[in-house]
Amino acid sequence: MIEQYHHKVTNSFMLWFDHYLLTKGQAYTNISGAKCYNYDDERLDDRFEAFGSPYKQWVNDSSVDGATIANGIYIGNTPSGEYSGGSRGGLKLDFHNGRALIETNDQNLDISCDFAVKDFNIYFTNETEDDLIVENKYSVNSRTPSAIESYIEPYDYVLPAVFIAAATSKNEDFAFGGMEETTINISATVLAEDSYQLDGVLSIFSDAKNECIPLVTMADHPYDEFNDLKSGVYNYNDLSSGNPNKLFLNRTTTSKLTDKIRKSLSNDMFVGFIDFEVQQHRFRHQ
Amino acid sequence: MAKIPIDVLNALKKQAPRELKRNFNKEFKEKFEKTKKELIDEFTSHPVTVEISSGPFSANISGTLSGVSNLFAFIGFQNGDNPTQPILRILNGITYRESGNAKSGIGKEYTIDIPTADEIFAITPMPWATGRSWAKGIETGISGIGYLLNKSSRSSRSGVAIQAEKKIRGGRFNNTPYISALIKKYNKKFKGI
Repeated sequence: MIEQYHHKVTNSFMLWFDHYLLTKGQAYTNISGAKCYNYDDERLDDRFEAFGSPYKQWVNDSSVDGATIANGIYIGNTPSGEYSGGSRGGLKLDFHNGRALIETNDQNLDISCDFAVKDFNIYFTNETEDDLIVENKYSVNSRTPSAIESYIEPYDYVLPAVFIAAATSKNEDFAFGGMEETTINISATVLAEDSYQLDGVLSIFSDAKNECIPLVTMADHPYDEFNDLKSGVYNYNDLSSGNPNKLFLNRTTTSKLTDKIRKSLSNDMFVGFIDFEVQQHRFRHQ
Repeated sequence: MAKIPIDVLNALKKQAPRELKRNFNKEFKEKFEKTKKELIDEFTSHPVTVEISSGPFSANISGTLSGVSNLFAFIGFQNGDNPTQPILRILNGITYRESGNAKSGIGKEYTIDIPTADEIFAITPMPWATGRSWAKGIETGISGIGYLLNKSSRSSRSGVAIQAEKKIRGGRFNNTPYISALIKKYNKKFKGI
C-alpha cells in the first residue's frame, strides 16, 4: 500500500511530539561511558551481536541543544563505528532500544557508549488506555544508579513513557471549491514515575495549543530498519524548515488520573492524559 | 416629497412599536419555551441519559457497551451520583433577552444564551480523570479504566461493576452522538424562532 494521509499525520506528530518535549522540557539526561551488555536477540540475523545499555530510548535529534547524540561506540577505550561514507562500518546503533549491534562473533567485547537518554520514551500504540495502565508490566529507565546494572530487554516498553494513539478523524466541508476541514483526535497517555515528571509533560503540551506541525512523509523518517539514523544525522529543524504543508494544533486538553484511583494500580505510576485536536484544511479529492 | 409632521411621527413612534412589541414578546416567549422544552425532553429521553440516570443497576439500553454492564458502572461513577443533573441544570437555565429593534423591517431581536457543547463538557468530569468529560467521551470513546480499576480494587465505587464477569474494553465502546449533536440541532431550532 502506498503512503496515505494518516501515515503522514502520525509520522509527523510523533516526530514533532518528541522534538517538542526534548526542546521545551530539556527532557533528556546525558550519559557518558555507559557499559553495554551482550545478550541474545532472536530477531537479529546471525551476523550481529547485540550489546544493550541500561537505558532506552536514546536521543537522536541533533537540533536538541546540549544533548549528546551517540555516534559510534567505545571498544575498550578505542572509539569505533563513527558514521562515515554512508555507514558505521560493521556497527548499527539502535537508538530505539538503546543498544549497539555489532557484526562480530565475539560476545565478550568491552563496549561502552556516550548518549543522551530521553526522560520520556515515546511510543505509538494501538493498545487501549486500560491495557496500558492496568494490565501492562513495564521496565523503568531509572535515573537512580543501581548496584546491579544490566541491559533492558529490547522491544519492551520502558517507563517513564508517553503512548500516542490516533483515535478518531473526520472530514467536514469547509469552503467552496472542495476544501475540507480534516480533524484528527490524537490521545497521549503519560506514565510517569512521580508527580513532578507528570506535571512537567502536561504543562508543556497544555501550552502547545496553536502550534503548527510540519507534515513529514514516511520516507523522511530518520530511522532505518535497525532504528539507526539513515544518513548518520537527524535534525528535526532542518527536516521541517521551509515545509509549508502543516497541521494545526487546534486544541489540547490535559488531565490526570485521580490519586484515589491511582493508588489502586498494581504498579506505582503517575498517570496523565493529553487529548490533541489536530486540524488541516485540504483538498481531499485533488 | 411631503414631510410627515413631527407630532404625527412622534405619535407613530409611541403607539405602533408598543403594540407590535407586546405581540412579538408573547409570540417569541411561547416559541422559546416550546423549543426549550423539546430540547430538555430530547435530552432526558436520550438512551444515554436514561441509562446513566438509572444508576448502577441499569441495562445497557444505549447499546454503547454491546449490552454488557452499563454506562454508570463502566464510567466508574459512585453509587448515589447523579451525573446528568449538571447538564439538566444548564439546559433549564437557558434564557433569552431582548436585544433591540430589528435592523431591517418591523420586529424585535432577541439573544438566546444557549450553552456550547464545550461548556457542557466542562461540567461533566470523568470520575477518574477530572480534566476529561464523560459526556464528550460518549461521542469520542471511553476507555474501560474506571471499570477495570473498580474491579481490581475490589471495592466498587459503583456497587455492581465488579459483578460483571465479561471483560469490557475501551476498544469495545460504541461511540454515540450525544451532546454536540443535540446542541447543534437546537442551535438551529432556536435561531429559526
